[in-house]
Amino acid sequence: MKSGPSGLENKQVGAVMVVGGGIGGVQASLDLAESGYYVYLVEKSPAIGGVMAQLDKTFPTNDCSMCILSPKLVECGRHLNIELITNAELKEVSGEPGQFKVKILTKSRYIDANKCTGCGECVQVCPVEVNSEFDAGLTKRKAIFIPYPQAVPSIFTIDKKERPPCVRACPAHVNVQGYMALTSKGKYKEALEVVVENLPLPGVLGRICPHPCESKCNRVPLDEPLAIASIKRFIADQAKDELLPQVKTERKDERVAIVGSGPAGLTAAYQLAKEGYGVTVFEALPVVGGMLYVGIPEYRLPKGVLEQEVEAIKHMGIEIKTNTPIGKDLTLDTLFTQGYKAVFIAVGAHRSLELGIPGEHADGVVHGVTFLREMNLGREVKLGRKVTVIGGGNAAIDSARSALRLGAQKVFILYRRSRVEMPASDEEIEAALTEGVEIQYLVAPTEILVKDGKVVGIRCIQMELGAPDATGRRRPIPILGSEFDIETDMIIPAVGQASDLSFLEGSGVTLSKRNLIDVDPITLTTSRPGVFAGGDAQTGPGIAIEAVAAGNRAAVSIIRYLRGEDLREGREIKEEEIKPLGLSELPVGEPRKPRVQMPTIEPERRQNSFDEVELGFTEETALQEAKRCLDCGICSECLQCVAVCKAEAIDHKMQDKIIELKVGSVIVAGGYELFDPSARYELGYTRAPNVVTSLEFERMLSASGPFQGTLLRPSDLTPPQKIAFIQCVGSRDAQNPYCSSVCCTYAIKEAIIAKEHSTVPLDVTIFFMDMRTCGKDFDRYYERAREESQVKFTRAKVHDIENKDGTGDLVVKFATEDGGVRTEDFNLVVLSVGFQASPGMISLAKKLGVQLNPYGFCQTRSFSPVETSKPGIFVCGAFSGPKDIPETVVQASGAAGSASALLAPVRKTLVKEKVYPPEKDIAGEEPRIGVFVCHCGINIGGVVNVPEVREYAATLPNVVFTDANLYTCSQDTQEKIKVMIEEHNLNRVIVASCSPRTHEPLFQETIKEAGLNRYLFEMTNIRDQCSWVHMHEPEKATEKAKDLVRMAVAKARLTEPLKQLSLSINHSALVIGGGISGLVSALTLAEQGFKVHLVERNSKLGGIAGRIHYTLEGGNVQAYLADLIEKVTNHHLIEVYTEAYIVDAYGYVGNFTTELMRYRGPYIEKIEHGVVIIATGGQEYKPGEYLYGRDPRVLTSLELEEEIAEVNPGITNCNSLVMIQCVGSRDDQRPYCSRVCCSQAIKNALKLKEIKPDMEIYILYRDMRTYGFQEDYYQEARRKGVIFLRYDLEHKPEVRAVKENDHYPLKVNVYDPVMGEQVIINTDILALGVATTPPAEIRELAQFYKVPLNEDGFFVEAHVKLRPVDFATEGAFVCGLAHAPKSIDESIAQAKAAASRATTILVKDTITAEGMVCSVNEDICSGCGICEVLCPYLAIAVDKTEKVAKVNEALCKGCGTCCSACPSGAAQQRGFRRDQISSMISAALGV
Amino acid sequence: MATIVLNELDPKFKYEVAKQPGGENIKVCFSCGLCTAGCPVSEIDENYNPRKIIHMVLLGMKQQVLSSDFIWLCSLCYTCYAHCPQNVKFTDVMRALRTMAVSEGYVHPSFPNRIKEIDNFSEKLRHQMALSILERKTEDTQTDPAELLAKASQEVERAKSSVS
Repeated sequence: MKSGPSGLENKQVGAVMVVGGGIGGVQASLDLAESGYYVYLVEKSPAIGGVMAQLDKTFPTNDCSMCILSPKLVECGRHLNIELITNAELKEVSGEPGQFKVKILTKSRYIDANKCTGCGECVQVCPVEVNSEFDAGLTKRKAIFIPYPQAVPSIFTIDKKERPPCVRACPAHVNVQGYMALTSKGKYKEALEVVVENLPLPGVLGRICPHPCESKCNRVPLDEPLAIASIKRFIADQAKDELLPQVKTERKDERVAIVGSGPAGLTAAYQLAKEGYGVTVFEALPVVGGMLYVGIPEYRLPKGVLEQEVEAIKHMGIEIKTNTPIGKDLTLDTLFTQGYKAVFIAVGAHRSLELGIPGEHADGVVHGVTFLREMNLGREVKLGRKVTVIGGGNAAIDSARSALRLGAQKVFILYRRSRVEMPASDEEIEAALTEGVEIQYLVAPTEILVKDGKVVGIRCIQMELGAPDATGRRRPIPILGSEFDIETDMIIPAVGQASDLSFLEGSGVTLSKRNLIDVDPITLTTSRPGVFAGGDAQTGPGIAIEAVAAGNRAAVSIIRYLRGEDLREGREIKEEEIKPLGLSELPVGEPRKPRVQMPTIEPERRQNSFDEVELGFTEETALQEAKRCLDCGICSECLQCVAVCKAEAIDHKMQDKIIELKVGSVIVAGGYELFDPSARYELGYTRAPNVVTSLEFERMLSASGPFQGTLLRPSDLTPPQKIAFIQCVGSRDAQNPYCSSVCCTYAIKEAIIAKEHSTVPLDVTIFFMDMRTCGKDFDRYYERAREESQVKFTRAKVHDIENKDGTGDLVVKFATEDGGVRTEDFNLVVLSVGFQASPGMISLAKKLGVQLNPYGFCQTRSFSPVETSKPGIFVCGAFSGPKDIPETVVQASGAAGSASALLAPVRKTLVKEKVYPPEKDIAGEEPRIGVFVCHCGINIGGVVNVPEVREYAATLPNVVFTDANLYTCSQDTQEKIKVMIEEHNLNRVIVASCSPRTHEPLFQETIKEAGLNRYLFEMTNIRDQCSWVHMHEPEKATEKAKDLVRMAVAKARLTEPLKQLSLSINHSALVIGGGISGLVSALTLAEQGFKVHLVERNSKLGGIAGRIHYTLEGGNVQAYLADLIEKVTNHHLIEVYTEAYIVDAYGYVGNFTTELMRYRGPYIEKIEHGVVIIATGGQEYKPGEYLYGRDPRVLTSLELEEEIAEVNPGITNCNSLVMIQCVGSRDDQRPYCSRVCCSQAIKNALKLKEIKPDMEIYILYRDMRTYGFQEDYYQEARRKGVIFLRYDLEHKPEVRAVKENDHYPLKVNVYDPVMGEQVIINTDILALGVATTPPAEIRELAQFYKVPLNEDGFFVEAHVKLRPVDFATEGAFVCGLAHAPKSIDESIAQAKAAASRATTILVKDTITAEGMVCSVNEDICSGCGICEVLCPYLAIAVDKTEKVAKVNEALCKGCGTCCSACPSGAAQQRGFRRDQISSMISAALGV
Repeated sequence: MATIVLNELDPKFKYEVAKQPGGENIKVCFSCGLCTAGCPVSEIDENYNPRKIIHMVLLGMKQQVLSSDFIWLCSLCYTCYAHCPQNVKFTDVMRALRTMAVSEGYVHPSFPNRIKEIDNFSEKLRHQMALSILERKTEDTQTDPAELLAKASQEVERAKSSVS
């Protein structure tokens, strides 16, 4: 930064927040962390990796996606200056650039990351399965999960939503989903344990509970609620013998008295006893159970069930005193004096309410409560012949059904409202009707008719329903004059119950107006300290489960009271509404399944019998029913995981946390969402199992996917023989008008891979409109697919996809260009779904105040491709529009470069330094080798017998430890390796897995962290060289793997620690090329405080951009360029060399020297620099075809642009203009796409239409490649009347100028495939969309800096996907057209990226060189100098005086050329010494 | 092979069509051919090709288009209209072309009246067909009319509650 440190800058924060953990976020984080900033990487899901982790292979090299990504993830995960904040969401950003404050919500994983070992035991026991996001829903994962095996961080997460409606609807909050999930897995005992946590009477409630939970079940809108109560009964019946609740802790001295042994009292007693308190229950009746015993008839609740559960409760050490009422003899005071520290009153409501009509006390009137009690106590009840029951509650129904069973001939129920209002449960009413009870609705008694003191009848009145009353039910109103009489000899009023609370008089416990015990609703404390009350006596008559809830609540209060704790804390009752899910919110594709009906005994068998009516579920029906559960809360909180977790890492009570951070800048890399093709009914995705999305297909191809990489189709798991790809699904249409840019190439990739994976001959067709393979080397890939892989390409948009009756096959309908309507059958169809903005990112953008484009992607501008509308907040990747991995990585580095430039003054203020343990001295130690053999999922393990290889390795000399790992590169395995080094005192480590090219540095780092020299590591590749190439010969592959391991062991025995040179770094950069790319690179570096030398061949800066005037989006290129040049030339840290030619270059990372000559200057100038950025640009192809150069009316599009900019009337006023695209591109000579010509044509056409709207413009194209949001302009051009005619290579346009009369008209002749005819266009002007070619000097430069060129003459980056601006040569970078043709915004992003990558070197004080370099044994060296001639790096030279070869270790790349050529054997490669190689060969040959 | 000489045609034709009510979007066509692929008339008459008709308009083949029988074959079923990714609204374009054909004198004025009658009749027919589809639950679809109805009434309730 030019301005020196000011007050504001001092306040800047040297940390950056990166939002989004896909490859973009990962790359930006790594660049920033390496550039001296502390990074917070915030990711919404539990692991970083993004969509790239899900991909099988990457185009155009078909590299394994996970294999190239995994090392980056691990590097990110273990980087000292990157803090991963996963499972987190950005909530708020405030402040200004340099000093933002951010709030992040970190969602609880319910797992302590520090304790979790990743053993996976929890996953085994978890009963809940949901669709795996990683496998695109094709497989299931558990509620406790790790997204994928190589996930970083490798910590498990519990997927938990808000508690399910059933649990919330249950008054006692019994964990319904928990026992449902366990029941569905046949774990009945465990399920019962979940129930008895809150409910000690499972068998009882399973029978008699009116189950408020069921009415809230989310299956209600779909079909019917789950039979929750019946399942509870089933598991209680199954596991009853095992139900012996355990007292959790040691017994305590305090004793509690409980008055009443109903459900409330028993529950409280049970909960208190569980905590070790002494409990005595006082019961007035001779039996235990309260209303459960005396209020419910046996046919509903067999006494044995209740007695057994009471026994179990008593077994916990509870004393129950029956026939012991509290009142006169035994008062509350007495209880306290007897030493009880607290009392819980739960006496129930055993007094019947009176009807309040004449005749009520006649003989023959028996109240329902009394009737049922007497019957249940086994006492004789005088029964009438014709019995009339009055009331509509369960007590009325119980009385009626019991009366029938006791022998009544006729039983009526009179109820004053209608069936709808009847409070009794539906099942009960139905059962009563089935058994012959008659119910008369809308009838109320007015008088009991008495004769001789005995009941003879009842006078009733008809009612009608009026307006709803306080209970919400409609109020019954008598109909005047409608009285009638019923003959009856017994009347059972059952219209309500109350409690007899007379015993509380004078006890200090006050009653409410409703004559109920007055309590605090939260704590259930009464007016007297130490006395609590609950159940019917406190609430009025309710259902049993409410009493259970009161018992639980009271127990909590009493325990807190006894402990002297706050009774209220954290117990506020939340009145939350339980909203049922809408149909659309239910799990997709959930089928309708009817509820299992409860079997009952025949109605005729119920006469005179109190046998239980409901027979209960069988195991089969219970399982069937339990499996209907929708797992609404995902985690069911069954706590099975807690039980098995040996590390005690699981805590289900963990809370979400808000963390606040200060950062200087924010980079948003939030990614995208894939289009959901369900919306496109005609494409069959929702109707046909064999129509899959491209991501699903990616998983289907992947070795770690649902079919382990075997190509099978979902419907019948057979290998498909014919596959269609449908392009532009959710792209280039009315809904998403933009192009998703990547689908064409990924479809080609998937087509090629599918062919490779297929076990049968496979026919693949790709249906497309324009083939948009416009990336570097993508057209070659397209040609390869067509020619080598025989993939068919059909230019047609598919109209619809239909099921072919019952076969699983599909009929694809489309029209060919010539107008024919065709159908074709396929076994499988892949929809190439496009990108769309993710709703999460849209809302995040709103929080950030970042502007979005009309499609919901982040708005960026041509000249600021990584900047958002908000200063200090940068963007990269698909959040700013659809793009592929390399473009994302480029933008990520570019955004990092911008953030780094912003925060340069506070660089290195917050970073930590990595400290390695001191290196162990292993000199003189016998080799102790550890061998780690990798399964690589099934990549290796599916072919090679890994356990056998491991066992074999253990038999080899000096091998003291062996292990086999699922994924050796995963983070937990790295930790394991370190522990094993320590435990077994290993001094050599061998990993037998994949390619050292991608993974060796990772393992070397690991052993270094364990105190070993990194060169004590050996790697052998048993994947590429065994399992992949010998896929069909598993036994031989295994043998070969053993051979390779044996060779590695042989070599490892001879390895020794190597020293690495520490090189100083020159902190200045050389940028070659003064076009936009070079200028931006130079400026980005200079703004960070680095000295930059900018070298340009021409006299002027600006490059090819000097000829470009506007961008497609309307940006003014010349204004931008002028401003950029001014900034560069005025920057005090940038030295510009124009008309300068590089004549030589040498040196190595950190210490390059470049020699240059300036125009007319006689001297060679030497520039010392630490890094070099090559930005030499490209040039316009000058065509020989189409009369170019021979007819003044023929121009290139760049020339046309210049003419338009100058408003040359010959051009802007012409009547017709033809443009021919792909001139010099995509042909035999230059088989690459020049990427920018299509948009350039559109740009010029639009400009001309602006100037002269009626100009006739024809664009002759092969494929319109207006990728991304350029598609908008393509549409705009058509809207303005520009005519697009397609041609192909077989019918190239012809251009003629033949004299006609006095004219010399320019005629373009082209075959129009839609018309099927030749079209002749007379045109005024012909513009050619010509190729972009590499500049002439590129070959020289490539040699100077020892960097490679591709077949097309552009520079080759280190890795096409993940190192797009790096060269394999350290310290050298590339950007702009020198890399490949690209647009201005792409060049700018790449220039910033190159600067960012260069920064990671320039910020360092020293750099560590390779240790595996050449060494010369000077005693043997004859100084012949062969090595000096051969060394491609000029790293070895014969010392003139000593006459021996000397190695410059900083320059030596360890290629080994000298060693192989040395006639005396003096030159030896460290790490690959002759004896080491020989030992490997001997081991291989077994000699 | 026949040859089309653009200079002999009327390049302004596309603008004229675009000025007609319903013809506005004709120029947006990118020639994907979905209109043709789904067209029930093309299924019967393989020479009937909506994509080509649009293309002819764009090339300025005014006389050929307006005098052709093709523009009268369209059954106005709206299949192409519904599927078109560029929202060309070809059914409306077709009406515009017919109107132009009539006003330019390519057909006798009684012809469009007759066509109108046929249109009305086929519209009735379509209406009946649609009803019969709604009444019949198709086999390969999981969509249940009752479910749709329930969903719709839910939406109505939601809308109501949000209004109140």
